[in-house]
Amino acid sequence: MITLTINGKTIHANPGEKVLDVALRHGIDIPHLCHHKDLLPSGSCRMCLVQVEGAAKPQTSCGMTVQDGMVIETDTEDIEAMRRDLIDLFVSDHPLTCVTCDKNGSCNLQDYAYRYNISETSFDFELSRPKYYDDNPFYIRDYQYCIMCGKCVRVCDEVVGANAIDFSQRGFETIISTPFDVPLAESACVFCGNCVQICPTAALLPRSKIGKGREWEMSRKQTICGYCGVGCTVEYALKGDKIIYAQGTPDGTVNGEFLCVKGRFGWDFVTSPDRLTTPLVRKDLAYELGLTDEPWEMPQTPVFKGKPKLSNYIPVSWEQAIDITATKLADVVKQHGSDAVGGLTSARCTNEENYLFQKFMRAGVGTNSVDHCARL
Amino acid sequence: MKAIIRIGMSTSDIAAGAEDTFRAIESAVRHRQLDVTLKRTGSLGASHREPVVDIEIDGQSTLYGPVTPERVTPMLDQHFGAGERGVSDDWVISRKNDRSDYPFLGKQYKVTTKLCGIIDPFSLEDYLAHDGYQALKQALKMPPEAVVQTVKDSKLRGRGGAGFPTGIKWELLRKAPKHPKFLICNADEGDPGAFMDRATIEGDPHKLLEGMIIAAYATGASQGYIYARAEYPLAVNILRNAIAQAREYGVLGENILGSGLNFDVTIKEGAGAFVCGEETALMHSIEGKRGMPSMRPPYPAQSGLWGYPSNINNVETLTSISSIILNGADWYAGLGTAKSGGTKAFALAGAIQRSGLVEVPIGTPLKELIYDIGGGCANGRELKAVQMGGPSGGCIPARMLDTIIDYDEISATGAIMGSGGMIVLDDTVSMVNIAHYFLSFTQDESCGKCVPCRVGTRQMLNILQRLLDGRGRIDDIEKLRRLCYTVGKSSLCGLGQTAPNPVLTTLRYFEDEYLAAVTNDVQGQTKLVAEASV
Repeated sequence: MITLTINGKTIHANPGEKVLDVALRHGIDIPHLCHHKDLLPSGSCRMCLVQVEGAAKPQTSCGMTVQDGMVIETDTEDIEAMRRDLIDLFVSDHPLTCVTCDKNGSCNLQDYAYRYNISETSFDFELSRPKYYDDNPFYIRDYQYCIMCGKCVRVCDEVVGANAIDFSQRGFETIISTPFDVPLAESACVFCGNCVQICPTAALLPRSKIGKGREWEMSRKQTICGYCGVGCTVEYALKGDKIIYAQGTPDGTVNGEFLCVKGRFGWDFVTSPDRLTTPLVRKDLAYELGLTDEPWEMPQTPVFKGKPKLSNYIPVSWEQAIDITATKLADVVKQHGSDAVGGLTSARCTNEENYLFQKFMRAGVGTNSVDHCARL
Repeated sequence: MKAIIRIGMSTSDIAAGAEDTFRAIESAVRHRQLDVTLKRTGSLGASHREPVVDIEIDGQSTLYGPVTPERVTPMLDQHFGAGERGVSDDWVISRKNDRSDYPFLGKQYKVTTKLCGIIDPFSLEDYLAHDGYQALKQALKMPPEAVVQTVKDSKLRGRGGAGFPTGIKWELLRKAPKHPKFLICNADEGDPGAFMDRATIEGDPHKLLEGMIIAAYATGASQGYIYARAEYPLAVNILRNAIAQAREYGVLGENILGSGLNFDVTIKEGAGAFVCGEETALMHSIEGKRGMPSMRPPYPAQSGLWGYPSNINNVETLTSISSIILNGADWYAGLGTAKSGGTKAFALAGAIQRSGLVEVPIGTPLKELIYDIGGGCANGRELKAVQMGGPSGGCIPARMLDTIIDYDEISATGAIMGSGGMIVLDDTVSMVNIAHYFLSFTQDESCGKCVPCRVGTRQMLNILQRLLDGRGRIDDIEKLRRLCYTVGKSSLCGLGQTAPNPVLTTLRYFEDEYLAAVTNDVQGQTKLVAEASV
């Protein structure tokens, strides 16, 4: 156990911890823009500078390991003035169009501009990289809002492992870019959108969010992603009953803050008009069961080629559907034996559902022919 | 009669036309069937007289320069033919072996550049004939700790500019528990106007290798890297050749000279980024990543190249080592001041009579270097200031030229010792313009990682541009000072932290020029001037 003093307060920390993490845990709010608990410290925003007793220059608290007996001041007049200058510099290269900005209310730079009372830059306003990219269906890149914190680069490298983007160019014109500035689809990007999630400003935004509402108008609904058996925690931002965007939450049990492309961007089926809302029975079977008077014959071309025609089916209730399925399944078992039936289940089901399914196949149907799509 | 003709063939000689001179001499020697050894050497440092040719007959040397192809015939006639054939005294640099008749060379004290311009950099034999690899042999007989102690006692400080004691750096690497250990030579010389490392490598590459091998022995490093500028093709070529020779000679590779020491050296060419001279960026570049600095600690001795303990020394630091081992720590320490031993090489340039590479003992007053060696300001102008340390350095005004060349003394002026760039400015120069020049360099070369360096220097540059354009605003100077403070204190790496130095020193010594540039608001200007004079 290590004991140090921050702002006159005695604090205990574990060896190897970083000063910023320890301070934040103890409610000492050291400003930071490029820090993320799941990423390696980079020290690029310079906001978390603190004064350490005995050090001539201010030290970067996100990268500084705690040491016994350290005495730290996080908000000296000198440091606060410097932070104010840094925000002043950030907004000299970032349009303060907060009124119409989709990040309004969840923008870290805006928070600090508010905290340091900076409504416009005192330097020359000059945009270094007014570049806008709208090259994929999932998210946009609007680099005039980029503050070069580099979190997107680090998450892509350290968490995702795709390494689709990196710093490019030098000096004032430095920009985050794909290799040779190719469109994202031609890069190594897997469109997981974790960069979008942790971007502190409006430089990276989900397309679904643009112009669809203000942050404070949205309600939040936390749930488990239904795409696979991993069970990631996902949070939907809703306006009314419409999903605006999906994101991870910092405290997700299995996934932390991060999601994959499906969980983050693949939810448009929820409100799709193509979505089935009731069980359907094909018309030939329906005629056979006396559910319709109209005789119908399956066309020569397979029905599943192309989009299924809803006119080939008639809607039934869940009770009816389950009844029909159970009867038919029992018929097959009766006629051909249990092993004539096989069961294939899905990775999108939960562990419990998959357990029940194999139980049903083995104990109910009486066959061991049961498998799962994740094994394919 | 034993005759040697040495022709300077360094990059600066070649730029001055040395290749034509060499061809002219070579064909004349062949044509006349002279019994003469022709030697391509590095640069003697006298850039202002290049191409330089040294004709040595029976140990008596005559140094000529600049030698154009037309001057070859009369020169050869004079020494090997019918006698006087119109060789002008103006062509002669020196007729004395100790060069005491040419102060530019005679007043220097050469250690690291001693053999530059004397030996053939492509010849190992030449190096061996001048005590080459003797220091290594001597060091291998000492315990490694004793080598480290010798370097500590010599008071050698890092010649890259920051001046960290080299012996202590070596000790840190030696004591690091992890293996393997890496030794890196920083030859990414990027300061505008600086060419000390290039000249040293082009003149005497084995001296650098010998220093590295001794360092490897002392620190326990098993692999060396030389991070060289790709813009130095000749130096890289010469180094490649030297490394191959050293492997063959048995001073690189496994079991060096039967001592059990294993050490090899690889050249890594940079891609032209100034920031790669910063040690963490340099290591990232060797690792194949973008050359961007990262936070320190961890320092390279704890976690450097690929996470292993590493040590980075500059070319001049490492080329000092063999002389220290051979002549002893006391000798080296005795050359300098109480806190800093040895000599320092400078690339003397700008408005100076005699420009070139000069090496003087630490403790030499700037005045001596500039007036006695450099001959003072060129074209009869008055000297205004001396810029030292490149974009990280600052301007020392003429009235302070009594300052001695020493890390602490130079730092006290606001400039830095730096790696050896020294630019003389005459009274026609606008100091605001100088600050603008160096800052625009830093701004272009910023890696873009942290906001004070990326945007802060840009805003400083905008202000300087306004002042130069006569559009200065009343609060510009105050804003400039504030930016200098924030950029200097909050930047991530040395590049940003020292970027304000050219502005700070010119503001300190030439504030009147800044005030004069604030022309927009006459009333405001008067007010500012009044405040400044209080």
